[in-house]
Amino acid sequence: MKRTYEEINRKIEAEDAVVMTAEEVLGLIESKGIEEATKEVDVVTTGTFGAMCSSGAFLNFGHSEPPIKMQHVSLNGVAAYGGLAAVDAYIGATELRNDEDMSYGGAHVIEELVAGKAIHLKANSYCSDCYPRKDIDTYISLKTINQAYLYNPRNIYQNYGLATNSSEKTLYTYMGKLLPHYGNVTYSSAGQLSPLLNDPQLRTIGIGTRIFLGGGVGYVAWEGTQYKTTTATKNGVPVGAARSLALIGDLRGMSPEFVRALNFQKYGLSLGLGIGVPIPILDEDMMRCVSIRDDQIFAPLLDYAVQSRNRKPIKEISYAELRSGCIELHGNQVKTSSLSSYYKARIVAGQLKKWIEKGDFTLTQPVAAMPKERAQKPLEVMSMEDVV
Amino acid sequence: MAKKKFQLSFTPDLVNEPITYRMVKDYDLQINILRAEVNDVGGKMLIEMQGKPDMIKKAVEYLKASRVEVRELKAYVKKDEDRCTHCGMCISICPVDAMCMDPDTKMVSYLPEKCIACGTCIDACPPGAIAFKI
Ligand code: SF4
Ligand code: SF4
Repeated sequence: MKRTYEEINRKIEAEDAVVMTAEEVLGLIESKGIEEATKEVDVVTTGTFGAMCSSGAFLNFGHSEPPIKMQHVSLNGVAAYGGLAAVDAYIGATELRNDEDMSYGGAHVIEELVAGKAIHLKANSYCSDCYPRKDIDTYISLKTINQAYLYNPRNIYQNYGLATNSSEKTLYTYMGKLLPHYGNVTYSSAGQLSPLLNDPQLRTIGIGTRIFLGGGVGYVAWEGTQYKTTTATKNGVPVGAARSLALIGDLRGMSPEFVRALNFQKYGLSLGLGIGVPIPILDEDMMRCVSIRDDQIFAPLLDYAVQSRNRKPIKEISYAELRSGCIELHGNQVKTSSLSSYYKARIVAGQLKKWIEKGDFTLTQPVAAMPKERAQKPLEVMSMEDVV
Repeated sequence: MAKKKFQLSFTPDLVNEPITYRMVKDYDLQINILRAEVNDVGGKMLIEMQGKPDMIKKAVEYLKASRVEVRELKAYVKKDEDRCTHCGMCISICPVDAMCMDPDTKMVSYLPEKCIACGTCIDACPPGAIAFKI
């Protein structure tokens, strides 16, 4: 059987669409099979809540009297990039207020903006005939500024490597605190609920796809940085990091429940974001895609004591085993920890399901597809002649 | 035998008093000092007392008479439920399984009776939801 986006949207608008989360649909597939489940379900919602380091927000502060260009901008003491047109700035989630004290930065400013709090804005600039003012010191909030939208160059990785530590000392990494002597294993994917694992070839997800972003509505803007299609697959899904997406969405409408500053001690900051993507069940192939389960999704275990981009995987482990709380490694039982919250991923997928059921959120057909083939290049130190 | 958790706060002049020695000697208690923070405005301690219930009571009276502020604790750390995202990072970090995830709800809860106040989970929690009660 086949379904079009138009048919699905007509049903959504009539509040007639049948929507299930990527977790709920597994039971239906098991009891009724792919064919029957395809007939019954129009949309499957996915969700994830995890550390999305490559995130940030564009802000437009409005013009002061007299006007200022705003060359150097800080928000609660955190530097924002002002090398844009006057009074535009970009605040990156990982920017630190202070390199020694890594506990506050861009992610906190973004969370506080979303929470409606006052933010201390300081800016200075060279002067020109257009912009005579030299500096400004004031407060802003989401209420006072013009545009405020997230533009995240690299979010919702399709899958991600697992981390452990063979060394003698504790390591503080973006995969969390790793205890010595293979003391623990950390992972970071919503697995069977994860957006890009439920449509592994990105057949229905492309530029313009409307999504749940941070509790509000957002869109897929572009392929994510480091997007790659060359990762080996198992059961139809990549084993390890593969595709990622660039996302965009209005900070207004987002909620601190789904936009959370994260501090990875002695590593740096990140932004915890709740993201949900609807998958239209266009045919049985799409239903087969969303039937993926945690026991079919694998990720490579990497030793973070090896400080090189070429870490050899120790072994591949399924999300079902990771979620059991313990995995087997070199004959020992090692405890596991998730960095992304399955609890919140469920809430995201559930909320998106409610929006669609109530007719508040219709699906979009991608304006353009994501690249079918893309390899990731490393950075080598080369001469001017080498690179042209 | 009973086991109880306490937070002690004392002024600088008491820093050199042999308080723990007296508790061991006079009240026959096992004292486990789990955390101590001492500076020029005084000090704070998280301790566990183990011994006969009436002896624990008497030791607390002795401490109070010595101008030590005593507060009985149910838990050594506090998990801020608004800040906790239930990610589970703290789970593999905790040496005594005092952080655990409900297999159905996927919510992470703190089991104060197991906690030994080692503090390893505190800097491991990405949203900064865990803090000592010191
Ligand atoms: S690490 Fe922090 S946020 Fe994650 S479950 Fe533990 S207390 Fe909650
Ligand atoms: S303080 Fe130590 S024992 Fe207590 S919950 Fe944290 S890691 Fe576990």
